[in-house]
Amino acid sequence: MLKTDKIKFSYAQEKILKGIDLEIEAGAFIGIIGPNASGKSTLLKNMSKTLKSDSGSIYLEHKLLNDYNSLELAKKMAVVPQNTEVNFNFNVYDIIMMGRHPYQKRWSGLSQKDKKIVKEVMEVTDTLKLKRKLINELSGGEKQRVIIARALAQKPDILMLDEPTSSLDINYQGEIYDLLDYLNQEFNLTIITVSHDLNLTAQYCEELLLLKEGKIFAAGPATEVLTEKNIKAVYNAEVIIRTNPLSEKPFVTLIPEVNRMKKRKQKDFKIHVIAGGGTAKNWLYKLENLGYQLSIGILNIGDADWQAAKELGIEMVEAPPFIDISEKEIQKNKKLIQKADLIILSDLPFGHGNLANLEVLLNYPDKTKILFSNLDIKKRDYIKGKAEKIWNELLEEDENIYLLKEKDNLISKIKKLEN
Amino acid sequence: MGENKKNIFIYLAAVIFSLVLIFLAMFIGSSQINSADITAYIINSKAVSASTAIIIGEIRLPRIILAFIVGAGLAVAGAVFQAIIRNPMVDPYIIGISAGAGTGVMLALFLGIEITIFNLNSLPAFAFLGAVLTVFTVYQLARVGNKLPVLTFLLAGVAVSFILNSLMSFLMVLRTENLQQLVYWLMGSLAGTAWSDVRMILPYFLTALAVIVFYLKDLNILLLGEESAAHLGLNVERTKIILLGAASLMTASVVSVSGSIGFIGLVVPHIARMTIGPDHRRLIPLAALFGASFLLIADTAARTIMAPMELPVGIITALAGGPYFIYLLRNKSKNIW
Repeated sequence: MLKTDKIKFSYAQEKILKGIDLEIEAGAFIGIIGPNASGKSTLLKNMSKTLKSDSGSIYLEHKLLNDYNSLELAKKMAVVPQNTEVNFNFNVYDIIMMGRHPYQKRWSGLSQKDKKIVKEVMEVTDTLKLKRKLINELSGGEKQRVIIARALAQKPDILMLDEPTSSLDINYQGEIYDLLDYLNQEFNLTIITVSHDLNLTAQYCEELLLLKEGKIFAAGPATEVLTEKNIKAVYNAEVIIRTNPLSEKPFVTLIPEVNRMKKRKQKDFKIHVIAGGGTAKNWLYKLENLGYQLSIGILNIGDADWQAAKELGIEMVEAPPFIDISEKEIQKNKKLIQKADLIILSDLPFGHGNLANLEVLLNYPDKTKILFSNLDIKKRDYIKGKAEKIWNELLEEDENIYLLKEKDNLISKIKKLEN
Repeated sequence: MGENKKNIFIYLAAVIFSLVLIFLAMFIGSSQINSADITAYIINSKAVSASTAIIIGEIRLPRIILAFIVGAGLAVAGAVFQAIIRNPMVDPYIIGISAGAGTGVMLALFLGIEITIFNLNSLPAFAFLGAVLTVFTVYQLARVGNKLPVLTFLLAGVAVSFILNSLMSFLMVLRTENLQQLVYWLMGSLAGTAWSDVRMILPYFLTALAVIVFYLKDLNILLLGEESAAHLGLNVERTKIILLGAASLMTASVVSVSGSIGFIGLVVPHIARMTIGPDHRRLIPLAALFGASFLLIADTAARTIMAPMELPVGIITALAGGPYFIYLLRNKSKNIW
């Protein structure tokens, strides 16, 4: 449908696009993302002939974009630019009817076809009820739907939108993308959006295009493009990627800068935490804030404690869920424990998968340990006494163990041990 | 359908109002002519006495017609400029066109050039030349790449206006013998209008009007913003230049006979827009009717308030338009379109 071949573009002396090769199939729903000045809007403007590429070529349905005159192009391609501020008071119907401009002769009135198409697009975009309203009486979301309706009235094969939701409240953002999704599914409309909102884009677009400094850094489905490594490389930001439980699409969360700043004011006291199942997440934040150097292991990927540790940027040994911890991970965990001044074992339950987390403690009789004992080990033992046996062995042979009955006393206990 | 009926009513009212105004303006003046004579004159110009016929036919009627054309022209040009620049604060004055046209005319008068080519008086041509040169200069000064930012356009217009105004003042100082006439011209006046004035500007006026009417629909599309307009298949730069040219020609043609009559180009498009909405296919004709009526009232007042002395009509339009514009600013600063 749309193909670009090594397009380059510069504003004055500054190179914005440094050779973009793209091929977009009919019916695709593409989201272009990237940091500011990565060239995403410029790419869209090149593809919509608003800007003319310095070199390279763009083909729309196997014909050079430059060979289309503006009216021909307006029938194939509709664009919703970033600034759609309409600072004059047309009514909604008139605005949408302007989308028929490429089909109308200068002096002809409105044809039955024009009226029919405008009515259709108003139905699709749910703007029929706004028909007689003035554009400035509408909310941001309604306004954007009207602008999209006008674009649809052009009967395009391809719709491009530059930051379609950047000025909208969150409820309208979803509404607009739902509409785009519907148009894509129902009418096989090819849609290309540019957005700085990674999560919205990931949620709705079939394919993402991640730009960095005028080049395509990554392209493909959201799960492949939105990785911690890619985001770090392109945005220089520490993020954690979770999975949206409803859509199973990736979901990006920024790790707050504060947490990384704190690292610089750390205490010279290392604590290794053994936890899981969310038994540590509540106090991990506190320990981090107090400036202790934390490590944690071994956690299952996706576990609540794992997410907390990820967000805090704690050094961690992780393992895939639902299988036994492997020897390799145990070795890694041991390395962290070796460095620690204190080991904390939370009140986690033990099963086949994580028994190694308890066993490992037997190797360090000299290290100071805090063991949560607010829950009886018998109740947390899901492997027929194996965990209990190790627990008792620990208590018998180890003199450096402090049992903690009250969770709330954890901090004060650590402070005592620290001195 | 209700909207259509309303619009028809508005137009009907505006046309009737204008006709009544023309009729009234015909028998207001320093010599008394009763309405029977005027009616008789309208039916058959030979039916009244020779002096009455001259007063009506050679003095009042050309002036009324000219007021009509000038008022309509300024309002239409103002509406076009506001649409192209997408800013309701623009009129031919603010961006220096009037000053440019004025300087052109003054230069022509100063150098004593007044050549008639093919029966066309060259004064409007000079005004046009001055106006177009000014628009071109302002456009070039304000342009950034291939974009025309509104703010720089206005500022460039103001700056160029200042320069041209001082140039006009300088020419006035050099040519003191008919200073009063020049001052009147600068303030805007329709005094001493003859049919020759109407004939002089009519070709330019009609040409410009035809172009604007041809592009009425494109004006609406332009209002969506240049980027959106381009995506709807409009050749934005070409349309802008043609319309700027036509509006400049229109302004230049009327300024060449009337001098600088202020505020019509700014305020009348607003009133028309508030009455009938922003669609230029309806707005431009109504703005023309409103502008014509407004100037006719103002001019009739100008020649009667201090009769037999004449006030420059520009004083009256500014006096009426200024406060109204301030009222607009205070009340509708958000939603001025």
